[in-house]
Amino acid sequence: MIEFRQVSKTYPGSDNPVVTDLSFEVLEGEICVLVGPSGCGKTTTMRMVNRLIEITEGEILIDGEPNTAISGTQLRRKIGYAIQQIGLFPHRTIADNIGTVPHLLGWDKGRIRDRVDDLLELVGLSPGEYRDRYPAELSGGQQQRVGVARALAADPPIMLMDEPFGAVDPITRERLQDEFLRIQEDIKKTIVFVTHDIDEAIKMGNKIAILKQGGVLAQYDTPENILSRPDSEFVSSFVGADRVLKRLSLTRVGEMDLEQADGGTEGLPRISDRMTARAALSELLGSGQSSAVVEMEGENKLLTFEAIEALTSTAEQSA
Amino acid sequence: MSNLALLVQDVLEEPKLIDWEWLRENFWEDIVPAFQGHIFLSFVSVAIALLIALPVGVISSRYRKAYPPVTFVTGILYSIPSLALFAILISIPGVAIGPAPVIIALVAYSLLILIRNTVAGIDSVPPETIDAARGMGLTNRQILFRVELPLALPIIVAGIRIATVTIIGIATIGAYINGGGLGTLIFDGINRQFPTMIIAGAVLATAMAIAADLLLLGLERYLRPWARARRT
Amino acid sequence: MLSKILEVFARPDFPEKLREHVVLSLVALLVAVAIAMPVALLIRNTRLGAAIAINIGNVGRAVPSLAILALALPLLGIGFASALVALTALAIPPILINASTGLREVSKDVIDAARGMGLSGGQILSRIQLPIAAPVIFAGIRTSAVQTVASATLATFIGAGGLGDLIVEGLQRRGPEILLAGAISVAILAILTEVGFGALERAFTPKGLKITQKRDT
Repeated sequence: MIEFRQVSKTYPGSDNPVVTDLSFEVLEGEICVLVGPSGCGKTTTMRMVNRLIEITEGEILIDGEPNTAISGTQLRRKIGYAIQQIGLFPHRTIADNIGTVPHLLGWDKGRIRDRVDDLLELVGLSPGEYRDRYPAELSGGQQQRVGVARALAADPPIMLMDEPFGAVDPITRERLQDEFLRIQEDIKKTIVFVTHDIDEAIKMGNKIAILKQGGVLAQYDTPENILSRPDSEFVSSFVGADRVLKRLSLTRVGEMDLEQADGGTEGLPRISDRMTARAALSELLGSGQSSAVVEMEGENKLLTFEAIEALTSTAEQSA
Repeated sequence: MSNLALLVQDVLEEPKLIDWEWLRENFWEDIVPAFQGHIFLSFVSVAIALLIALPVGVISSRYRKAYPPVTFVTGILYSIPSLALFAILISIPGVAIGPAPVIIALVAYSLLILIRNTVAGIDSVPPETIDAARGMGLTNRQILFRVELPLALPIIVAGIRIATVTIIGIATIGAYINGGGLGTLIFDGINRQFPTMIIAGAVLATAMAIAADLLLLGLERYLRPWARARRT
Repeated sequence: MLSKILEVFARPDFPEKLREHVVLSLVALLVAVAIAMPVALLIRNTRLGAAIAINIGNVGRAVPSLAILALALPLLGIGFASALVALTALAIPPILINASTGLREVSKDVIDAARGMGLSGGQILSRIQLPIAAPVIFAGIRTSAVQTVASATLATFIGAGGLGDLIVEGLQRRGPEILLAGAISVAILAILTEVGFGALERAFTPKGLKITQKRDT
C-alpha cells in the first residue's frame, strides 16, 4: 500500500544523503517498523511519506499513486500523525484536539462529537471526564493516548507514528504498546512506525526495516527472519547478541507443539500458556527442574528444554 | 503642508541644524558637566536602588506573603509617569527642586524590576542544588551568599540592565526640575530654540543608554556561559 | 489643598487636555500595533528576521523618551503631529519584541504536529500560533500602552498639549494645586491603562494556557 521506490534524500549544501536509495513496500494492514541507530534517517523516511520532508530522488506511492499527486496539506489530512513529543495544542480542549482533522475535513459537529467520544473510549480515557480538559491537566501517559486518538480521528487508512510511546516511563510504555496492538487487531491500519528500540520493533512490527547510517536499508523482513537469519554483521549486532532469546519472545507457550504429560507432574512448576517461550525458559531455569506443566486445551502438556530448543533450531516459526 | 515637506524645507533652509562651532566652543562648559551630572544621577540611583532591592528581594523570596504587597506598591510607583512623580515629590514640603527628588524618583522606578528579578533569580536556583548544599553542611547564610545569589546573578543582572537603561532615560526629564544631567541641554535648547543643544543632549543621552544596555548585556551573557536554549 | 486641586479639574480646559492626552496616546499605540504586528508576523519563521527585529526592539527600548520627542522638534516642528510620530516610534519596540518572541516561542512540536495533521500555513498561524502567543503579545501591548501614556506627558515640551501642560504650568506659575492636579490625573490615567490592558490580556489568554501557567509557577 505504501511503496518506496529508490527514494533518496540529500539536503542542499550537504554531500552525504540522509536517505539512500530506499526501496520497500508496506502492505495494507501491516505495521512496518523503521528502526536503526541515531542518524539512520528513519524519522526522515517516515516524514517523506506525508511530505513534511520532500524527496530528492525516487518516489513514494500510496495505493499506486505518487504521493505528490495532491497537495501536501490535503495528503496529510488523510494520514494519521503521532509524534514522540505529542504536540497537543495547549490552548484547546482534549475534544478540540482530537477533532482537529475531522473539523478541517468539514464533518458536522454531531459526527465529530461522537467520534471523539468513541476514540477516547478506545484509548482508555472516559469521555465524560476527559473531553473538556486541557492538555496541561493530563499526565504524560494520558497525553500520549490522546495523541494516538487524535491521529486516528479522521479514520485514515495510513498512520505515521514516530516513537509515539517514547515520552513515558517503561511500564506505561509497555501498557500503551499492548493496548495499541489490541486496537490494531480491530482497526487494521497500515502503519509506519519509527523507533530506536529493537525490542519495541520486534514487539510491534509485522515487518521491520533496519536502517544504517545514511538511510541505507540493511534488512527488511519479518521479526522472526531478522532474528534467525540476519543479513549482515550490522544487523546481527544491532539486534543484539541475545537474538536467539529475543526470538523466543515471539512465540507463546500455547502455540508450541508439546507432548502430553503422563503422570508424575507433582513438584513441577506450572506455566501459563499465555507466557512467551522466553519467559517460560526463564521460569524453567529458575525452578531447577528440567520440565514444567502447561495446561492447554484441557490437557496437561509438558514443557521441556528440548521443546524450547526445537523452537530455535527451525528456521520457520510463526511469530 | 505635510510634516515631511516641512522637514525637507527645514533641512534645506537651515543647514545649521547642528552648529559644530558652538559644540566645539562650549564642549567643556556645557556638554561635559551635563554628561557628568547624568552619570552621577544614574549611578547613584542604581546603587541606592540595589541597596534597597536586593535585601527586599531576598526577603520576599523567603517570605512569599510579603511579595504581592511589595510588587503592588512598587508597581504603582512604576506606573506613575516620571514628570508626574517629580511633580508630586517637589510638592512635598521640604523637598526642593534639584537632584534629590530626581534620585528619589529614579530609585522608586527601578525597585519593581530589581526586586522582581531578584526573586526570579533566586527562584531559578534548582532546589536540588540547595538541598545538596544544605546536605554538605552549609549554613543558610552561606547558602545565600555562596550558592543562591551567584546562581541568581544572571537574572539579577538582567534586571539591573533594564533598570539602568530606564534610569538613564528618565534622568533626562529630571533636568526640568533642576536635577542636572543631559536633559539640561535638551531643555535649554528648547527654550532657546537652539536645535544644536537639543540634538547634542538627545543624542548623547541615547548613546549613553544604548552603551549601558550593550555593556550590561555583555556582562549578562558572560555570567551565563551555558547556552540558553531559547535562542530559536 | 484638596479643594483647590478639585477646582483645577473643574477648569474648562481640563477635559480638553485630558482628551488630547488620551488621543495622542491611543493613536500612537494603534499605529505602533499596525506597524509592529505585520512585521512580527512576516519574520516569524526566519531566524535572521527575528534576530534583527529583537535587536532593533532592544535598542529602541533603551532610547530615552525625552530624547526622541526632543529630536522631533528641530526635525518635524512643534505640535501634535510631531509628538505623534515620536510617540509612535517609542511605542513600537515593546510590541515588536513581544510579538516576535511570542510567535517564535510557540512549541515547535505543536507546530510540527499541526503541520503533520494537515493544517495549512495560514491555519497554523491563525489557529495555533496567534492564540498561543496572544498572552505575550498583549503583555507587550500593555507595556507599550503604559509607556506611551507616560511619554505623552512629555509631549507638552514640544507644544503638543496633554496633561503635561498642567504640570508645567504648575511649576512655572508656582501653583502647587495645578501641579498636583496634573500629576495625579496622569498617574491615574497610567494606572487605569495598566489595569485596563491587564484585563484585556487576561481576556485574550486561552483557558488552556492559564492552566499551564498555573502549573509552571
